[in-house]
Amino acid sequence: MIILDKVSFRYNEKSETSFKLKEVSFSCSKASITGVIGGNGSGKSTVARLIAGMIEPQSGTVSVDGFAPFNHIGRCGFLAGIIFQTPDNQIVGTTVAEDLAFGLENLGVNYDEMQVRVRETAARFGLGNMLATPVHYLSGGQKQLLCIASVMIMQPSWIIFDEPTSHLDPWARDNFWQTVKPFAREHDIGVMVVSQLAEDLQHFEQILAFNAGSLVFNGPIADLRASVEQLQWFRIPDAWKLEKILEA
Amino acid sequence: MSPQLELKNLTVSYGGKPVAQKLNGSFGCGRINLLVGRAGSGKSSLLLTIAGFHTEFSGQILYDGAVFQPAGNFSLTFQDPESLFFNTSVGDEVEYSLRMRELAENEITPRAQQWLQRWGLEPEKFYSRHPFELSGGEKRRVALAACTVAMPPVILLDEPLAGLDANGQKALAEMLNQLAHEHIVIVVTHEPEVFLHPDSNILFLREGQGSWFSGDDFLRQAVCNREFYPLPRWYCQALGPFSTASSLPPVNAEAVASFIAREKSHADKL
Amino acid sequence: MQISYKPGSSFLYGLNPLIKGVLCFVLIMFFSLNGLQLTAMAGSLAALLFFAALGRLPLTDLVLSIKRIWFLLVIVGLVQGFRGNGFELAPALEGMIRILGVFIAAGCYLTVSPQSELMFFWETVFRPLRLFGLPARELALVMVIAVRFLPVMLSEIDRIRMAQIARGARLGKGGFFSSAAALMPLMIPTLAQAIIRGEELAEAMEARGYRVSGNRTRYYRFGIGFFDVPAGLLALVVATLTVWSRFL
Repeated sequence: MIILDKVSFRYNEKSETSFKLKEVSFSCSKASITGVIGGNGSGKSTVARLIAGMIEPQSGTVSVDGFAPFNHIGRCGFLAGIIFQTPDNQIVGTTVAEDLAFGLENLGVNYDEMQVRVRETAARFGLGNMLATPVHYLSGGQKQLLCIASVMIMQPSWIIFDEPTSHLDPWARDNFWQTVKPFAREHDIGVMVVSQLAEDLQHFEQILAFNAGSLVFNGPIADLRASVEQLQWFRIPDAWKLEKILEA
Repeated sequence: MSPQLELKNLTVSYGGKPVAQKLNGSFGCGRINLLVGRAGSGKSSLLLTIAGFHTEFSGQILYDGAVFQPAGNFSLTFQDPESLFFNTSVGDEVEYSLRMRELAENEITPRAQQWLQRWGLEPEKFYSRHPFELSGGEKRRVALAACTVAMPPVILLDEPLAGLDANGQKALAEMLNQLAHEHIVIVVTHEPEVFLHPDSNILFLREGQGSWFSGDDFLRQAVCNREFYPLPRWYCQALGPFSTASSLPPVNAEAVASFIAREKSHADKL
Repeated sequence: MQISYKPGSSFLYGLNPLIKGVLCFVLIMFFSLNGLQLTAMAGSLAALLFFAALGRLPLTDLVLSIKRIWFLLVIVGLVQGFRGNGFELAPALEGMIRILGVFIAAGCYLTVSPQSELMFFWETVFRPLRLFGLPARELALVMVIAVRFLPVMLSEIDRIRMAQIARGARLGKGGFFSSAAALMPLMIPTLAQAIIRGEELAEAMEARGYRVSGNRTRYYRFGIGFFDVPAGLLALVVATLTVWSRFL
């Protein structure tokens, strides 16, 4: 369970406009895939970073499974892992094994356990025979897989994808969802996806929508669809528009 | 008839392996040329080959019947073209290309301003601003304007829409379609649906081979078979029953809706 | 061909990274400083190549990459060859063998050393600096990341170069001697990209629990193996030979 209670965040305290988030409150559960939507500068990435424990809220509380992520990061047991857009800018190791191990080294996992977990995770993500492969030999798809594996190896209870599909070709986009959906069901893991692609909407079950630092919608996707006419900030996807026109 | 860029038996290789073999066909003016395919299918290599930067190829690239001389005759941008900015004002950024081509000093500013206007950016408002103050969509347009201001006959763009929101993508695609009336515009993209018109020209690279489609053929194949090319699901679902119609609409809700209404009334009359 | 780590499993790969590093250092010193005759030097170069072949290194790649330094080789050959009384072949060849020896020794070392081992070596070398309060492990990590991002940055620079040339920039023509102003279109975007990349990488590392001065464990452990003893002895012999032939 992720709970945000009256969370505000701003980069410097000078003006009203420097607010990235203003008194945002919501909760979401692991049971469904949560989509975080909103335009550039809406605050959606800030929310992801707060939950991943990378920044600390100035007021209000963030809690993931009962813990404050900012204080918890780097200790044993990992709350929420985040996977960013560009694989090349987040692979730290120079070989597959090194990158997988990086997070575990930070958590202070001991040598024997680390060996086991690196091998297990690599095998699970189909990277088993590539442990010693330099990362610049990997294809784009393999790099993205490695990014996911490197976060999953830390056994987070939540995983956040920050715009995972915007750089992919359309086949890989389909593929991403075909991988992630069963993955969320089979493992006891909460999945949150930050995205502004209309095509991704159909895969979300719960929606958190942000606009100018405020939470403007929170609920199941069906409700968003029902009330979509009243939401001025929201660009209605073509799929919904068409259905509406055809109904009329 | 305006000149065309012709590929004759062109095989592009990368590191000794052919990535696109025996391409025959042409890119022309008046309609946008789209280059699509999976990541790693050789789209970018083909673009660089046309630009003359990638030299591992056999066969020929002809322009107006003679071997294409890239120098000075093309513009080339990659994903995030705004990363090329190095001046402190939009004006300097756009004028740079003209200055380097040693245009007469009194022609430079008027031409740059005129060009900026064509990209929907009023010179009075933007000319002296710092490029980094602009919004995402404006930045992208300034960058593309700055790269194309010398008005070369061939304009090569690699993923020009990436990172823009849906509205920005639509607006930019419209401008590039306009640009294609006077230039040979070749666009590498993962979002052909934003550009597609029935008469667009598409080169689809897959498994080392290239096949050419008109926009209409491409849409039709994709509607019948998602494996062919994954267009947005809603479009394929809505048009599935009409795949034999004479001409399919572009990929946007309004066009599809009026198309379906038309087809239905047509069927009723029969 | 670019010289970088190539996965493999011969005895050269299995050496302890410290021994490997010291051996490479000693060899470089040997080739640059020794006072031996031409035949002995050619013999040692042949011996080096022999060991490399025995260790199943991709020698053709290594030899092919020599073409990157042919210019340097020619210059050194000419400078060394022209003495007061005309051109002499022996000193010219000697100079060239020195350069080749250094190049091949370093190339072999980089081919058999994954980043984790380079990092371990650097860390050990930096360790004395801890006395002055400098963080050895962080410094080593900085070096590793620099190496990791080298291929990424090179392709980035290449793209920027091509796009700016298309805009009319004359980067190629002035070549080496073009003025700083002409290079601005290349340098400013490259620097800006490097900063963006750096920021994103820092974020990704933090998100995976990295903290400067955190208590990190290690994925790799390096023991002393069967070949380490002879390799260590070899390093000792070569070092002695260098000092003896040069100074005694």
